[in-house]
Order: sequence, then C-alpha cells, then structure tokens
Amino acid sequence: MVVKIKRQKNRDSKAYWQYFEYSGDVNTTVAAVLDFLNYSDDLYDIDGNYAPRIRWECSCLQKVCGACAMVINGKPSLACNTFLDKMKGKELVLEPLSKFPVVADLITDRSIIDNNLRQVQLYIGERDENDGGLYELQYTAAKCLKCGLCLEICPNYIKGDNFFGALFANDTFLTHSLSKNRKKELKREYTKHFSSGCSKALSCESICPTGISTLSSIFSMEHSKRK
Amino acid sequence: MMKKLIIVGSGIAGLTCAVECAAQGGSVVLVSPYVSERSQSVMAAGGINAALDTKGENDSILCHIEDTMRGGAYIADRKAVEGMCTAAPEIIKWLESLGTVFTRDEKGNIDLRAFGGQTHRRTAYAGASTGKQIVTALVRKVREYECRGLISRRLGMQFHSALINDGKCYGALFYNEKEYKTEALYADAVIMAVGGQNGLFGKTTGSLLCDGYAAGKLFYQGANLKNLEFIQYHPTTIETPQKRMLISEAARGEGGRLYYLNGDKRVYFMEEKYGERGNLMSRDIVSKCIYDAPSQVFLDISFLGKEKIKHKLNEVSDICDRYAGIDVLRESIPVYPSVHFFMGGLSVDRNHRTNIKHLYAVGECASMYHGANRLGGNSLLAAIYSGKSAALSAVNEPYEDRKPNFGTYISENERKISKTLSAESKFPAIYIKQELANIMNENLGITRTGDKIKKGIENIDYFLSISDRLNFDSSISPYQCYSLEGMIMLAKAVLMCAGERKETRGAHIRDDYPESRKELECSTVISYDEGNYKISFKEEV
Ligand SMILES: Cc1cc2nc3c(=O)[nH]c(=O)nc-3n(C[C@H](O)[C@H](O)[C@H](O)COP(=O)(O)OP(=O)(O)OC[C@H]3O[C@@H](n4cnc5c(N)ncnc54)[C@H](O)[C@@H]3O)c2cc1C
Ligand code: FES
Repeated sequence: MVVKIKRQKNRDSKAYWQYFEYSGDVNTTVAAVLDFLNYSDDLYDIDGNYAPRIRWECSCLQKVCGACAMVINGKPSLACNTFLDKMKGKELVLEPLSKFPVVADLITDRSIIDNNLRQVQLYIGERDENDGGLYELQYTAAKCLKCGLCLEICPNYIKGDNFFGALFANDTFLTHSLSKNRKKELKREYTKHFSSGCSKALSCESICPTGISTLSSIFSMEHSKRK
Repeated sequence: MMKKLIIVGSGIAGLTCAVECAAQGGSVVLVSPYVSERSQSVMAAGGINAALDTKGENDSILCHIEDTMRGGAYIADRKAVEGMCTAAPEIIKWLESLGTVFTRDEKGNIDLRAFGGQTHRRTAYAGASTGKQIVTALVRKVREYECRGLISRRLGMQFHSALINDGKCYGALFYNEKEYKTEALYADAVIMAVGGQNGLFGKTTGSLLCDGYAAGKLFYQGANLKNLEFIQYHPTTIETPQKRMLISEAARGEGGRLYYLNGDKRVYFMEEKYGERGNLMSRDIVSKCIYDAPSQVFLDISFLGKEKIKHKLNEVSDICDRYAGIDVLRESIPVYPSVHFFMGGLSVDRNHRTNIKHLYAVGECASMYHGANRLGGNSLLAAIYSGKSAALSAVNEPYEDRKPNFGTYISENERKISKTLSAESKFPAIYIKQELANIMNENLGITRTGDKIKKGIENIDYFLSISDRLNFDSSISPYQCYSLEGMIMLAKAVLMCAGERKETRGAHIRDDYPESRKELECSTVISYDEGNYKISFKEEV
C-alpha cells in the first residue's frame, strides 16, 4: 500500500509530499502504520531516498485522548481509531489538521482551543446540586477529547475567528448545567461565540469520536434561554 | 510574599496539586507537553476507592486501610495510608463539588462496585470513564484559577532537568517544543507529577507520554528512588494491532469470571483455588495464576446481559469489539497479564518531599501508598491525595532568598541539545528505546530470576556505556533523544533493585526465592552518586 504524507519540518518551513510503501498487515490502524514506518532501522521513501522520521502525536492509542487527530484520506479522524481494511482505495493519504498551525509533520498546535475556553471564563463557580435530569448528556459532554476534529470539519469555524465551534458549545452546555451562579455569563458567551455563528450543518456530530450530540447541547442551551 | 510553584505534568495529580496550591494562595505555573486531555489519567475507567459505605456493608476507613496494607504486602507507610484512606470520602465529595458526575444507584447514592483485593464494595465510578470525568472537572477548576491569575499553564514544554545547587532545587529546565529551544523556569518549589515509567517497557496498557525519563534524570541529579522492583502486571489485557489493551477490573467487579479450557470443560481456576471471590483476588495473585494456567485464559462477561454491560462496562465491550473483533455478549475474552502500573518511583516523605530540598513528587511518579502491589481504584485516590498533601506543604514552607546562578549549566545543556538538532547521524533513539523495552520485557517479567536480572543489567550497561557518544537522528524531537540516557539509567536502577530483593513479595515474584522474608518487610531505596548505584532497605516508621 502507498502511504502519502504531507510533511513539514517545522512551523516556518515549506510543506511537501512524501510517499512510502507500507508492507505490513492491513488488518490494523493508521496509528500502527505510522509506528511500523517509524520503528524501522532506517526510513526510506518509495524511491529509496532517506526520509526523516514521521512526526505525529499520540498518547493512549485507544481513542480516549485525542492526540492523534489528523486528516486521513480527506476526512478528519483519529489515527488510532481508523482501520485500513475499512478504507476504500489503495492509497493512504495523511495530512495535518488544516485549521491549526503545524508544529512538525502531522503535529499541530491546538492551544487555541484551550485559549478560547479560558477567554470566555468557562468554569462553574458554585455547583448546582440538581442535575435537572441531564446526567446522560453531562456525562457524554464531559468525554470531549478536545481533539479538534469538530472544528476541522465545521464549515463555519475559521481559525482565529470569533466563532468557537461545537466543542465550545458542548463544554458550555456542560458547565452551564452544572453551575448555580454563573449561568447568565455563560449563556451570554454562548450566544456571542456560538449560536450567532452556527448554521446547523452538524457535521460535528458524525465526526465526534466520543459521540457527543451537539444538537442536544444546542437544544438544552436554547431551552434554558427561555426559562 | 506569594509562593511560586512549578508543577511538572498535568494529569490528575498535577491538576489537583495546582488547584490546591492556588487555593492555599500560591502562584502556580503548570507545565506539560500537552493538555491534560492527553494524560494517562483520562484512561482510568474503573473507579476510585473511598469507604463511603453506601451499600450497607459496614465498610469503614479502617477496612480500607487494612485492605491497602495487606494488598501492598505490608511495606507501605501505614501512617501515609491512614491519611489517604481517611481523606477518601471527603475527596469524593470535593470531586462532586467540582462537577464530576459519579454514577448513582437506585437510591440516589454514589454507586460503589467491587474491586480486586477489597473486602467491601468501595469503588466509586463515573460510568465507564472515571478518570476522564475527573480530568474534565479538574481542568475546569484550574481554568477558574487561571482566570483569576493564580495559575498559568505552559504547554509544549518537556522536562529536561531540575536546577539543583547544594541539595536544593530552584527551578527546572525545559525544552520548548513550540519555540524549538530550552527554557529555564525558577520557583520556590518544583513539584513533579509526571506519571509512571511505562516507557521502560515500550507499549504498555497506559500512555506513551509516561516514559520514566524525569525520574531517571532526577535520580542522576541526586534524588532517591524507592521500591522500583514492584511493577504491576494487570491480569486482564487483550492483544490488539496497536498494543495490549486493558480490560478493566470492573469487568470482574461486576461479576466476570476467569476460566481456561480442559478439553471442552471450563475450569474456573480462580474460584476453585480461592472460593467465591476468587476472580477478585489482588492483581499480583490473579496475574500469577493466569501466568501459571496450562492454557489460554478467558474472561467471560456474556452472562451479565446486554443492559448491565451497556451501562457499566461499555468501555470493555467497545474495546473488544473495535480493536479485537470480539462480541462480548457472545464470546469470552482471551486475556493475559501485561505491564500496567508502577508502585515504585521517586522516594518521598509524607508531605511528598524528595530528599532534594524544595523538590516534591506526586501521583504515579512518587512511591508511597501502594507498597508491593497496588489495589485497583487506589491510584486515582493517591494521585489526588498526594497532590493535595504536597500543595499544603509546598505553599507553607519557608524558602531561600538567594538564587544561585545556573547560567553555565543552562548554556552547556543548550549546546548539547543544539548539537542533537544539527546532527547528521541517522541513529534513531526510537530504535534504542525499543531495544531497552525488549531487554526489560525479557528479563523482568511476571516471574524473575537472579540470572535473568543479571543478564538484563549487562545488556543495559552496554547501552549506558555508549549513550553519551551517540549522535542522534535530528529529525525527531530533541526530547526523544536526550530522554534516552535518563530512561536507561532508570532501567538499570529497576533491575538492580529487583536483583537485590531476594524474596517474593507482592508483584515481585522470584522463582529462585519463592518465599517472603520477614527481614525484607521494608522498602528498597536506591541512590546514585558519581557512577555508583547504592541500595538500602528501609523500614517505614
Ligand atoms: C488503562 C488504565 C486504566 C486505569 N484505571 C484506573 C482505575 O480505574 N482506577 C485507578 O485508581 N487507577 C487507574 N489507573 C492508574 C491511573 O490512571 C494512574 O495511576 C493515574 O492516572 C496517574 O496520574 P498522574 O497524574 O500521576 O499521571 P498521568 O495522568 O500519567 O500524567 C502525567 C503527566 O506528566 C506529563 N509528563 C510526562 N513526562 C513528562 C516530561 N518529561 N516533561 C513534562 N511533562 C511530562 C504528561 O504529559 C502528563 O501530563 C489506570 C491506568 C491505565 C493505564
Ligand atoms: S492516541 Fe489517543 S486518541 Fe489516538
């Protein structure tokens, strides 16, 4: 199988494509393919030229940490959760997420996610003991990996813009539902950085590796508006 | 004056410590290479122990203490264990107040499940993602303090070394991955929360970010390490194309049964040997029994039914389905033990101070509560309790005014790192790390012998002898290169401790010394001084 990877030495250097031959098992994940290539004695591209090791981020290797988010055959995905045998075609194309600055190869700097949440002061303050029957939704929303896949796929999310995307909406729903004394501020930020910019394309829903329903978060926030 | 603290690592221990330092009025810099969502803490699925006694089983803090001491084969510091178990119920309340959504039972109480080595149901949990739920809540609390200017987070920073002069720590040196350069940070105290030593064994059940480097480097710089030979093999892991993945103890806590096949007949060997609660013996015992079983061991949870599995063991069925193609409702899970947790680490006192003044260690990188074998559900508790204890001490301790000049030390190390960055050599550090893992897995398995350990040390010595002459591959992060030497040193220390403990205790099983020895009912402490590794045994008082 041919593996085509978009490479970039560092933030300031130019990106280029490099092709590799993968001869291992196909009953495996993209993460395992990257390991297979990197753990060889020396790494050569398909034409036999020496190639620098492929840099990518990973931690858990079981889709619970969000580190390995990248674009795989055009689709934002987690490398450790994408199986070769389920992919159509003979070529595997790997690119870094396009909405975040590249650090090296497939590693991007996603610190804007954290910065945005801090900017809007997303915290509970005093906890509301009554969960309002929202346990299931709260539980799922709290599983957000902050991987950035929902931002990558969102037609409205543009880096550095005022619209903070689905992960922000979900986290705001969670924080809002748990907070006793900060609901008003949180709702204001929600309107400013989400509801005014979301066109409800909802591509974020199907891409989310933990199955968070942005629509439910939106519904809860909208509903609470009227209360 | 406001105390300034550096916390290295932002898993549950680092996050808790940051929150508590800020609550005590300290000013915190929380440093880690990645956000907390990437830390190993998010992987903890099973739960966290506290004698809440919501099941009317007459559980008590005393029972929790006894179970922890017995599970650890009586070498943990009893006073420290008492402190942790006593604080546990309050800790659960605190986590709830931060917004952790624990699973509740039909009466509305926090639900508790059975976990290995415990006499009562004592493990509180949040669905199938306890660690993740706690991390989410703590990150939010840290954010509150960030907004109030008491905590600042630094991402993209890899630990390089501590800034130590005359036995005192004044800060730490980091490699900034985003700026491609070293950076020194100074503080009144440095608190290490860098997690376990997974990297010594390559891919384990845990995170690849926990490589053991920081502990190895600090050892080189004079910090003592403790109980390194006690490495927990989790009894139930499955093979997947990526690594061996954990099947949480919750599967047995909820009723799952272990068996092997004798012809067509299922032999429930744990129940036969230990009775009704056999599947839930402590991990050291279950792992050894699986290791000794005459054929492949299976874990059956199919009979628990769809509903229970969906609500309580969703993560188990998901892992089996997705990564191993096993439908747990129809098939049993083939399991085998694998490296999972490190009882040993930086040696600390009850306030989590190392032997280097103003240097602390918390969470899995510190050795304190688990003795020779950790009980499931006790490490999240220890991560939180240790984070709080260290904060209390670090914020309130008196500090030096004088700051020595580290200029020469820093520029020397900067030079070394830039040499790596401009190296032409293709020698891959990744490859040597793989070799290191092979040596450790080969010579320090579930059961050990003096001969194998000796061979392991010889192999490690070879890599140590060449490590400072290697010119690494500049295409990987400098951290991947410079971390190698610290990891190799740590590996040697682990093997030496394992060689020195000539008995079987907890997770340290010696084929050549199968009995426990009363005179070794104490901790192993190893120190490094100018090339010499010195081991002593120390009773906790
Ligand atoms: C699959 C799995 C399931 C588990 N389930 C349970 C359970 O149910 N109950 C339980 O009690 N325990 C469980 N554990 C154990 C528990 O998860 C850990 O012991 C605990 O999370 C450790 O927390 P920590 O904060 O000490 O470390 P970690 O969460 O590992 O965090 C370490 C931090 O240090 C950083 N770091 C590492 N190296 C460096 C460096 N060189 N420079 C800078 N930063 C660095 C990391 O990036 C990270 O931020 C489980 C473990 C695994 C692997
Ligand atoms: S490595 Fe954690 S999600 Fe892929």
